[in-house]
Amino acid sequence: MNVRIEALAEATCVIPEGRLDFDAAPGFQEALERALGAPGKAPAALIIDGAGLEYVSSAGLRAVLLAARAAQRAGVPFALCGLQPAVREVFDLSGFSRIIAVHPDRATALAQVQPGRA
Amino acid sequence: MTTRRTAVPADPAQLSVLTEFLREFGSAAALAPAQVGNFELALEEIFLNIVMHGSEPGVTPRVEVSLNLGADAVTMTVEDDGPQFDPLSLPPPDVTATLADRKVGGLGVFLVRNIMDTVTYARTAGRNQLRISKRLAD
Repeated sequence: MNVRIEALAEATCVIPEGRLDFDAAPGFQEALERALGAPGKAPAALIIDGAGLEYVSSAGLRAVLLAARAAQRAGVPFALCGLQPAVREVFDLSGFSRIIAVHPDRATALAQVQPGRA
Repeated sequence: MTTRRTAVPADPAQLSVLTEFLREFGSAAALAPAQVGNFELALEEIFLNIVMHGSEPGVTPRVEVSLNLGADAVTMTVEDDGPQFDPLSLPPPDVTATLADRKVGGLGVFLVRNIMDTVTYARTAGRNQLRISKRLAD
């Protein structure tokens, strides 16, 4: 799996591409930690843009959960967006879509994570 | 009828081998990509469960996977010669917990049960056997 990080003014976007399985989960978790930054240097918001994500297993869900929790502790709005149907199904079944904001696309996610609206 | 069988040691490094095996079966059986994805997920979760729960120190169980395309369903059997372990006995995760309280484990088997039509466990001849099937109509 390939992970890109894009730092925008409104949010830092983490963009995984390919398979988020057991093999890829540690690298993805590291990327999320890097994107969340050091205390005092946190981004305005953290968004995972999953448009290029083809597959996710429980190992990947775990990385997302840990990041969502770290973001909550740091007071950083956190959201997912652009999930393909098969990936979305896994997030729905696990109950994660109820505890993490999921938006249809990045533009909607960026509009929703504005400070004060999280 | 299309059937495939393989065996690997219960070592996480073998996950990519199993994924490739499953994809080859999927294309030989002309399965829809969504169906292949469901079985990839089931196989990853079950295999890693065996890796994590099914090993005694110094012993690596052998995991056998067979896939079969029947008239109306795909069936996957995963067998290992590790200590007796029924993954279906694991308590289900609380999928209604809040973000702060949500446990990070226990999701794998829960996902398998939810995406598949039937999942059964048996301990036969000193081996753990998990049988999973999903109808083709989905």
